[in-house]
Amino acid sequence: MDFSLSEEQEMFRRSIRKFFDQHGQTSIARDVVKGNTTSLDKVTRGLVELGCTGMTVSEEFEGSGLGSLDLVPVFEELGRALLPGTLLETIGFAIPILEKYGTDEQKQKYLPEIAAGTKKMTLAWLEPKKGYNPDSVGVTASAEGESLVINGVKSLIPDGDVVDTYILLVRTMDGKDGAGLSLVLLDREDTGITVRHQKCFDETQRLAEVTFENVRVSKSQVLGAMNQGWDVLQEGLLHLNGALCSLMVGGMDRIVEMTAEYATIRVQFGQPIGRFQAIKHGIVDMKTDLETARSLSYYANWALETDVDDKKAAIYSARAFITEAYIRIASQSIQIHGGIGVTEELDCQLYLKRARYYENYLGSVQQYREKTALALNW
Amino acid sequence: MDFSFSKKEEKFRSTLRSWLEENLPEGWLEGKNVITKENAEYWDFLRSWQKTLYEGGYAAIAWPEKYGGRNATLMEEIIYQQEMVRANAPQLINYVGIHMVGPTLIQIGTEEQKEKYIEKILTGEEVWCQGYSEPNAGSDLTAIQTSAVKNGDHWVINGQKVWTSFGHVADKCFLLARTSSSTEKKHKGITVFLVDMHQEGVETRPIIQMDGEHDFNEVYLNDAIASDADIIGEVDEGWKVMIALLMHERTGIGGQLFTLEQQFKDLVKMTNEVEEDGKPLIKDPFVRQKMVDLYTRSRGSLLNYYRNLTTTLKRGYPGAEGSMDKLLVSELTKEVFSYAVSLQNHQGVLWKEDALVDTYWQDKFLHSFGMTIGGGTSEVQKNTIAERILGLPKDLGR
Repeated sequence: MDFSLSEEQEMFRRSIRKFFDQHGQTSIARDVVKGNTTSLDKVTRGLVELGCTGMTVSEEFEGSGLGSLDLVPVFEELGRALLPGTLLETIGFAIPILEKYGTDEQKQKYLPEIAAGTKKMTLAWLEPKKGYNPDSVGVTASAEGESLVINGVKSLIPDGDVVDTYILLVRTMDGKDGAGLSLVLLDREDTGITVRHQKCFDETQRLAEVTFENVRVSKSQVLGAMNQGWDVLQEGLLHLNGALCSLMVGGMDRIVEMTAEYATIRVQFGQPIGRFQAIKHGIVDMKTDLETARSLSYYANWALETDVDDKKAAIYSARAFITEAYIRIASQSIQIHGGIGVTEELDCQLYLKRARYYENYLGSVQQYREKTALALNW
Repeated sequence: MDFSFSKKEEKFRSTLRSWLEENLPEGWLEGKNVITKENAEYWDFLRSWQKTLYEGGYAAIAWPEKYGGRNATLMEEIIYQQEMVRANAPQLINYVGIHMVGPTLIQIGTEEQKEKYIEKILTGEEVWCQGYSEPNAGSDLTAIQTSAVKNGDHWVINGQKVWTSFGHVADKCFLLARTSSSTEKKHKGITVFLVDMHQEGVETRPIIQMDGEHDFNEVYLNDAIASDADIIGEVDEGWKVMIALLMHERTGIGGQLFTLEQQFKDLVKMTNEVEEDGKPLIKDPFVRQKMVDLYTRSRGSLLNYYRNLTTTLKRGYPGAEGSMDKLLVSELTKEVFSYAVSLQNHQGVLWKEDALVDTYWQDKFLHSFGMTIGGGTSEVQKNTIAERILGLPKDLGR
């Protein structure tokens, strides 16, 4: 019995932590909010050099062939720094489904470049005023010879205006409950794509609405079997949510740390406020949320790596719990910081906004709970 | 990360499992012939169960072999607890003796004390209780007022203990008394006595809880007698004895977590079997949401425990993380039973033979309130977590 990350994994965490410390942690995200991406670009480059982007790419395609657990410290540290960008979508989603469902040609085209940090991927699923129900996918791809012609609008695409490739969920055939949907690898430079930036209250995130007008793409760009994209998407979401859990835990860890620090230095009524039990117990509630989240996240990623029976239940339930816990502790940290907590100056607000950003990202808490119930055969 | 058990550990599990199958009372594993507290013979039954455990070499597996134990590893202790929960084995009547008094005697007791007590603890011939809490010393144990005064060659003890589990059936008491009160520090001046419960100066009265059960007692000490030979550790240094004792609690509240895991499975079963308006409760979308939430948090608390256990294994002794395990498992157990009763709609108020499903749910619900109080209240656990794990300043007055 050993329920902990390995010494190598913890060592890798320390080197990433050190790297982010050198680059000012959340100041990278703050620069992005101000419209300056110089430090983000530099740090992203550095992460590539540290090997983060190629970790889970197989050796055949110039990666290191590591597993989901090796990503845990990486995503925790990214979450701690609130790093903007689409490493979550690229490493957490694109790599595993390309590895599992990609054709040799697709793998050769994308994986080495992802590992080298020269291709950034994102997921384009949602559409304006629609939810995550497969029946509501309205973007169509109709076959014309060896091509697909894509029409429609996708919304809320992370980094939709700067990524290299969209993994686009489209309808290729009529069908119910996910049948007839396909995933298409669509490079952004393809003609017929119009991008509109969308303002997001988590200003560290870039979102875009993308309109596709007669965009022509080869059928060879379909990822996984045609008309069975919904299943490929579900598989990808298992990986993405495993990574997302780690991202959120990393943010939570920093929130608890900074709140406890503040409570020991902020003096009122002649003593540090951390001496008052109302404050103390509030921080302990945050800490128990954090540790429960971390345990669930580790187990979810272990389940993903070892493919055990309760994999789905472990991932879905972790996702649901951690999403809510992140919001809870980010909110609580503002309260404990008092007046200064609501200001732009402190990082509390950045974490709160990020927590809310993830709340309904690729599925709501209720949906993930229901998925858990189904996975448990309830 | 590795959740597997070693070959040796698996062997230990299978041997224990077969032993339990052979030695538990007839029909026990199927839930038949289970004897309950209402039965007058319950306590005799528990004593004989402890004797059976002793004869099988399963009474105190963590003790050194020299004293009748198996020198069990921490993992074997965990497996032991899992198997006891799995078999719904009868409670250990001499829990205090096996888990607290025995290990402490082995570590710091005199040869005479070991000779006198150890074997009888193992066999269950002498059942122990713990004389800690008092009417004015609950969470603040240093406030105890029970006094022990030296009179010639013996000590005279006066005062009152409360919440004494097993007090009415115990033969001996591991008792804290104040032997000096002149010092500045309140935890100084306390001495641990090994007191005979069958003497004129000791009187036990039952406390009945809101579930109708009798788990606890008041113990009155009126000129009770103990000798120098009945002191464990040094006079006035009882606090050190208690710290030493806590270090033996290696498995923490693992047993409660394994029990909660089982109880949650029972709850899932109940929501599948009980119908409202012709539909099983578990098919209701709101019930499903709440059940997944409880499932996730129960899993989370068990996984936290395994993570903390890993730390204990690597470090060699348990730390303050145990407070988090205790906080979570007790709060969650309360919540699980509260929800179980709530799910039964207004019929949830039906009790005993009129209970909708099984009065187990109502009884456990009422019983669960003690869990966040006994063994350190949730508030005390939170103070410990805040101060020892998060590094927040200590409360004034402590």
